[in-house]
Amino acid sequence: MPAAAALLLLAAPLLAPQEADQSAPKGRATVYRVDLIETLDGDPIKNGFVIVRDGLIEKIGQALVLPEGARVRDLRGSGSTITPPLALSHANFLVRSSRGGGLNGRFRAVDSLWLEPEQLHELLELGVLVAGVDPPGDGVPGRSSVISTDGGTPAPEPLVEDLHLSFQMMGSTRSAKDLLRKAIADAEKAIEGEDKAREAWQKARKEWEEKQKAKAEEAKKSAEGGKDGAGGGKAAQDPPKPAEKGKDDGKKPEEQEPPKEFEAPKIDPNLMPVVEWLRKERVVQVSFDKPAAWLHWLDLLGDRDLAWEAVLALPRWGGFAGNFHEVKDSIAAAGVRVYLPASLPDLPYTRIASHPAAELHAAGVEIVLTPPRADLEGVRSLRLGLADLVREGLDRRTAIEAVTLRPAAAMGQEELVQALKPGAPATFILLDGDFLNPVAEVQLVLRDGKVLYDRAKEEEDK
Amino acid sequence: MALLELMLALAPAPAAAPPPLQDPPKEEVVEEKPAPEKAPAKEKEAPAEAAPAEASPYLAIVGGEIHTVGDGVIARGTVLCKDGRILKVGSKVRVPEGATVIDAAGMKVYPGLVAVNSSGIVQGRGDAVADDYDPFALNVDLGLAGGLTAVQSGGAVAKLVRHSIDDVVLAQADWVTLSYSTSSPRGRRELRDKLDRARDYLRQQRAFEAAKQAGEEDAVEPDKKGVDDRSMKLLQGQAVARFNANNTKDLLSVCELIEDYPMEAVIFGGQEAWTVAPQLSRSGARLVLTPRAKSWADEELNRPNGWSIENARILWQHGIEFAIVPGQSYISTGGIAGRDLLTLPMEVAFAIRGGLPQDAALRSITIDAARILGVADRVGSIEPGKDADLIVCDGDLFDYRSFVQWAVVNGDLAYDKQKSPYFAHIRPRPEPTPAEVIEAVIEGVQAQKDEGVTGEGAEGAEPEAEAAGSGGGGQR
Repeated sequence: MPAAAALLLLAAPLLAPQEADQSAPKGRATVYRVDLIETLDGDPIKNGFVIVRDGLIEKIGQALVLPEGARVRDLRGSGSTITPPLALSHANFLVRSSRGGGLNGRFRAVDSLWLEPEQLHELLELGVLVAGVDPPGDGVPGRSSVISTDGGTPAPEPLVEDLHLSFQMMGSTRSAKDLLRKAIADAEKAIEGEDKAREAWQKARKEWEEKQKAKAEEAKKSAEGGKDGAGGGKAAQDPPKPAEKGKDDGKKPEEQEPPKEFEAPKIDPNLMPVVEWLRKERVVQVSFDKPAAWLHWLDLLGDRDLAWEAVLALPRWGGFAGNFHEVKDSIAAAGVRVYLPASLPDLPYTRIASHPAAELHAAGVEIVLTPPRADLEGVRSLRLGLADLVREGLDRRTAIEAVTLRPAAAMGQEELVQALKPGAPATFILLDGDFLNPVAEVQLVLRDGKVLYDRAKEEEDK
Repeated sequence: MALLELMLALAPAPAAAPPPLQDPPKEEVVEEKPAPEKAPAKEKEAPAEAAPAEASPYLAIVGGEIHTVGDGVIARGTVLCKDGRILKVGSKVRVPEGATVIDAAGMKVYPGLVAVNSSGIVQGRGDAVADDYDPFALNVDLGLAGGLTAVQSGGAVAKLVRHSIDDVVLAQADWVTLSYSTSSPRGRRELRDKLDRARDYLRQQRAFEAAKQAGEEDAVEPDKKGVDDRSMKLLQGQAVARFNANNTKDLLSVCELIEDYPMEAVIFGGQEAWTVAPQLSRSGARLVLTPRAKSWADEELNRPNGWSIENARILWQHGIEFAIVPGQSYISTGGIAGRDLLTLPMEVAFAIRGGLPQDAALRSITIDAARILGVADRVGSIEPGKDADLIVCDGDLFDYRSFVQWAVVNGDLAYDKQKSPYFAHIRPRPEPTPAEVIEAVIEGVQAQKDEGVTGEGAEGAEPEAEAAGSGGGGQR
């Protein structure tokens, strides 16, 4: 150990005040000392320090000179760990009141939030800073949203109200395909209708403008010489046809001017997100409960080049289908981001465990891991699930990234949950054990240097 | 088993292949000249050759005893498939480089089995079967393990395709189930009335069309009101009538009905069919039998009645076409062997026990079943041009000890027992010993010399394929 660090080690207990890190006043640094820092930016740092000042990570490393007047929080000895906070995609236990099946594109998950008291706080206690929620229901249930666990209850301020459109390829593939096929066909028809309307408007507008121009010229000419009479009369007779039916308000036919701005025909708000998807303006997230659903989705999608992500979902009844490896190559070839539960599901009707996360990762698929169960208990056992995956062959770093950086980026929160490095926001969690040790508890949750949760303090308050 | 003994008796030495067991016309099957495929394949498949990473379109089952069904048995031959179809069958078939090779030495190759009736293997009805198909479903895997590659369910004939949902539905089985039991005189009368109306309408319609053609302007188009569409379809040969009939009386009355109203008919049941075989034969009806389905004879009847284990044999002797199904239409690992579709050949074995020749027994769950379903042009036998739906068994298909080792559907290796979570542990397939591999290679080289094959064709082929393809080569 370098001399400076050794010195610091001796000095630390003397410097650390009891009420260490409550809202550091500007300029004053706080130092967190732990056994391991999973920076997710290069190798993990053993026996390391994170110096936080003004909401940012000032320094991070193994051997640091303690800044003057810094407060120190030293948790070494228990295997304590600092990592970026958890980002939870598909925290669907936070939403209720499913609308059943059908085309319900206009709904947003954030409008269906159903928060039990303390639920968000418990998520925070578990180290979760961001939670994605899907609209409940089958078919096309709506659009997903993202909330922050420190956004206040009962109505937390959403980070993203309208993230992705959700398609459910769950249960009967035939019903799902029938619905989606129709939705896509209707959306294509709507787009075609709008294109035609726009074309007609453009034409009408152009004609009208030309006629106005001709009229003006006529007027000018007649003003100049007043000889040429025929052309002027003709121009006045042909009023341009407006593109929009019934939109013009009672002007005389000759005066009718096509609207200056194009007014698109109305599209069913439930269909609109599908239209936007087909126009490449949004991403669709498709949930699958079995590998066959994957194949049927590809069949439905055909050769359309559109943005979508895949959720290998927990079926509502029964366990996660453990045979997604059957379509592993196809998933890899699709090149889409894949969400799947952090568990080792059995092959169907057997007690033979499979490891889709490791297989998909090895096939080059970007994986995002979700809780092994679709409830708060599932979030409590998320790190246990990760430990299982890592023990059975998934790379540790991949596993941790798959519940932190990757889901955050997938939810557009890459600024909020970042790899830990100097200059990055001081947003991280501190556990009293290894990240993959299910017994370890989150001690601190920091966001931009501000302590959102401090277990020691909460226990003291109790 | 007799077949195996016969084969052994005929085989002069293990290295030299035995002559064909039956059906001399087999000669035609192996007509292909050595390596005819090689050169054109190279030209045609130029991109594939250039990019070796791409999967070969070829799949070859080599070295097995091929029960072609349509064209006898090839003692040691090769089935070469390409793009989902059977390309070549014979003892001298060259295997192109890069082909997926299944070494079936010592095993038996059959067409994939066809179940005339099934439930729970594929979902949905009619057109919906394709959109509901789950190629990874347990029951599809079990079906393949049981040797099935095509099943009728919900009015559609579906292939048990794995890994994909393409080309699942072979055909829509347009069946009209008719009730014509002697126990319901009213139902019988109503059915006849319906058929009469349909027949009259069709007759009038034909007369009307003829009159129109002849230029008669006052010809009146017949009224279609009250005419049953399905009855018309039956009488026009656009649909098949399905009857359930077991006892002599019902069977005879079905014969009478289809004599009066000619239509294509399939009779399910037929437990007492053996008692009226001549009448059934004349009627042209086909049957779907379950050899072990029993109805006890009524001793007081002064005529043959009740079930008979010889039923299938007697019908076969009368030239009646039939398919065999087990007692239950579902598939399960929990049932009694031979009672459901997991062990269909075991039900058929009881017909063999009753005297049905083995080849006729095989037909009843392959080509004849396919014919009943109207898909015999695609499946049911191993012949060039047909769908590459094949199974490889480690023993005689009708032996209770035999397992399906591999199943191929649409040219894709859909099932491998060694990888099955349900069956791999039962008598695992022995890997070939190094000595066996060396022997196979030497045999292959010898075969090349014997056949005088030189150049690319000989070099390009896989050693196993060569070895297998050589079987019988020296004999010709």
